[in-house]
Amino acid sequence: MIKRIALEEWRALARDRAAVVGLLLLTVLMLVAALTAYEQQRGANAERARYQAQSNHEFQAQPDRHPHRMVHYGHFLFRPVNPLAAFDPGIDGYTGSTLFVEGHQQNSANFGDVRQTSLLLRFGQLTPAFVLQVLAPLLLVFFGHAAVARERESGTLRVLLAQGVASRQLVLGKLLALCGFTALMLLPALAGLAWMAASGHAPWLPVLLLAAGYTGWLLLWSLGVVLVSTLFARGRDALLVLLAVWTVAVILLPRWIPDLASSAVALPTRYENVINVQRDYLALGDSHNPQDPKFAAFRDGLLKQYNVTRVEDLPVNLKGLVSMEGERRSTELFNRYAAAGMDRQQAQSRLIDHAGWLSPALALRRLSMTASGTDLASFRSFLEQGEAYRYALIQGLNKLHAEEVHYADEGQAGKENRISNSHWQGFPPFHYRQAQVDEILLRAAPAGAALILWILALTGLTWWLGGRLGRAVR
Amino acid sequence: MNFSIDWLTFEWRLIARSRLSVVALLLLLVLSTLSVWSGVQEVARQRDTIAQLAALQAQDAAVATTRNATGGNAGSAAYYTFHHTWDAPADAAFLALGLRDVAPYALRIRALGLQAQLYEGETFNPEVALPGRFDFAFVLIYLAPLFVIALLHDLVSSERQSGRLRMLAAMPDGGRLWRRRVALRFALLLACLVLPVLAGAGWAGLDMGASVIVLAVAASYLAFWIGVSLLVGAHGRRSVTNATALMGVWAVLTLVLPTLANVALTRAIPVHQGVDLMLAQRQVVHGAWEVPRDETMRKFYLGHPQWQHSAPLPEGFHWKWYFAFHQLGDESVAGQVQQYRAGLLARQAWTDRLGWVLPGVGVQAVLHRLAATDLPAQLAYQQRISSFHEALRNFYYGYLFTDLPFGPAQAAHQPVFAPAPGAAPAPWRAAAAVCLLAWLVFAAGAWRLVRIKGGGER
Repeated sequence: MIKRIALEEWRALARDRAAVVGLLLLTVLMLVAALTAYEQQRGANAERARYQAQSNHEFQAQPDRHPHRMVHYGHFLFRPVNPLAAFDPGIDGYTGSTLFVEGHQQNSANFGDVRQTSLLLRFGQLTPAFVLQVLAPLLLVFFGHAAVARERESGTLRVLLAQGVASRQLVLGKLLALCGFTALMLLPALAGLAWMAASGHAPWLPVLLLAAGYTGWLLLWSLGVVLVSTLFARGRDALLVLLAVWTVAVILLPRWIPDLASSAVALPTRYENVINVQRDYLALGDSHNPQDPKFAAFRDGLLKQYNVTRVEDLPVNLKGLVSMEGERRSTELFNRYAAAGMDRQQAQSRLIDHAGWLSPALALRRLSMTASGTDLASFRSFLEQGEAYRYALIQGLNKLHAEEVHYADEGQAGKENRISNSHWQGFPPFHYRQAQVDEILLRAAPAGAALILWILALTGLTWWLGGRLGRAVR
Repeated sequence: MNFSIDWLTFEWRLIARSRLSVVALLLLLVLSTLSVWSGVQEVARQRDTIAQLAALQAQDAAVATTRNATGGNAGSAAYYTFHHTWDAPADAAFLALGLRDVAPYALRIRALGLQAQLYEGETFNPEVALPGRFDFAFVLIYLAPLFVIALLHDLVSSERQSGRLRMLAAMPDGGRLWRRRVALRFALLLACLVLPVLAGAGWAGLDMGASVIVLAVAASYLAFWIGVSLLVGAHGRRSVTNATALMGVWAVLTLVLPTLANVALTRAIPVHQGVDLMLAQRQVVHGAWEVPRDETMRKFYLGHPQWQHSAPLPEGFHWKWYFAFHQLGDESVAGQVQQYRAGLLARQAWTDRLGWVLPGVGVQAVLHRLAATDLPAQLAYQQRISSFHEALRNFYYGYLFTDLPFGPAQAAHQPVFAPAPGAAPAPWRAAAAVCLLAWLVFAAGAWRLVRIKGGGER
């Protein structure tokens, strides 16, 4: 019986020219979105890889020089794009992709797309995620709102019930039909995702997570649409209510809640952070000057360790060691500020996540960005990996300074205090490590739970109201 | 007169009796108020932040000056002293917060190479910035059309479905009725939308010209959507079909086409030079340590002959050499900087052109231009920083290249950053283009409406 009702509804949908055209348009849009997003992701990755190679080359090709000059020369790191960014680019356009690492300083990642485009980027980006998050539910609302209400409006519901169809069967049949419609909408996206995993572009687990998340999201909407359709006697009312729900859940709340979160947890500007960091940094002493009193204890410890009385007698270069000690102290300081700033940002994001229990659109967005590796946590991971690389690089150069340059020669004109450029080639290039699968699962779990809870709640409600539908008509 | 009051109360009663319409109007009023309020709050917060940063920076500069007091050297003063630059929000900024959440509106600058300082990012949470701000521009561009659709999609079809249409059409001067109904709904929607804006404008001290543009653009944008609703609604279709079609038009015009255009634009006008110029500048600056110092100075004097009679470089380090190669670093990428800016402005120009055909984009562009929160405003701020940086360099060079002593007395005369001069020129042309298109569509809708016949009842 359920199947027959579903088939009937299907036939009605297939006859409705608008529904077919809508579905076709959505599919075309999805294909365009997928192709451009994939192209863009590949282009960005190729470009960044090229820049990274150029940077690596330039670093290694630096001439013989004093290692401390290399500390100031620094290095450029480029953030690779996660392949799944082709599905959901998330914050990728909003974060810088270029990180300049140098001694004595932690820099921000610069040149994000958002500052390099007109305000068009703020209308949203055309990606498969956008199509499924925003447009697909709208299509479901348009073509599903009358599923039950139409039968009621035209009086056929009474006839069906009189013929012995249970009202629950009817509701389930309509739901099944709508789920079929949903499956058609999902098909191109799922095929694209499967292709990405099968061809080795992306690991299977995040792909499955994305597929499950979006299937759940559209199932949620199918349930909601049928539910509202059983609630209202007239299709018109059901449509208006569903459109209002869509507007609030998909357009309004995803903008408003982040706004609230950002005023609830204020972020210090970079400007004041830099001043505070600089003030604390100067208080640490000048690591360029081995006679700085702030480093006296460190110097005395060294003299004792090597059992000598004069710094000139040390087997290592004091300036290099002071640089290492200074870098160690300052990095501790920078990391403290950086972690505090990032923690505040993550506190904002957590506030938004909590709202995911209220608006499943936010939960879906979290799940989607996390699985695609384009969320704040992934960006933070890049910054932290970049910082770890910076520290290793700078300390490696300082170590060369300590071991390869003689203290007596420092600053002496005519003395050789450059070291061979073959040393620069000894530093391994930067490799960004994408998040592990278990990290992704852990981060996406609350959002997934919120979606599942919503689905369960709506399923229960639909079941209950489906049973009462008969009474409402009688 | 009495007669017209009568129809007004009558039509108002019709609207008031539909609970949905009243709720919709109230909701629009609330959303508009909230958006204006949050915009006003945000602007106040940004002003406070700028003032606080100025105080903080003044302290920092004072420390640098005292530290330099005994040395008396312009080079180390220039190296260690940072200067405050800021981009205060314009009076209209509360309407459209634009890029101000992702670009720094205050930046400290010193006399060293500018290109390494200019593109510094702001600390912001990208997950918060991603969906965009909840400001008046958002309410107007995205939400207001939905309210228009809710109130107008069944203007004709509800009469037809209830069987009154034939009678209405048979009345003498039947068009008048439609005119009144549309006008009343238009007026109510506009009032709910712009009353909070007028309050905000009064609070922010917005000048007349800007207020007129905001009102004109808001009214025109509503008129556009009313025109579209009438064009769709005047056909003999059912209310539900009208609503579906209108929502489809809305989704295409405000969500799909602009994002498609963005894809096309970033593809047609690639802008990579930002990274390129940064890499190039670094090569020149850091390579300078390996270049014979006299050659660097010769190159520098070529471009800056006013300092060519400066004393020859001494044996050890001299700041003027250090600053000279930093400036040469900037100069070596001057062409790339030009290209970069031109690329960004080209993207903006195409967006503006797109606004002539897509009212949502057009309104977005006009409001953000008025609010000075768009890409050109950001570039203008960078331009002002550049000029200030130029003045700063020249000021310090006056001491550096003549070996004049530099102490707190001289430091007191350091140049001070000049902020944006008041309001930016109002975007009259873009606003006119948006209004023209909108009212044409409105006229088409109105024309379609008065030609409605009573037939086609379903």
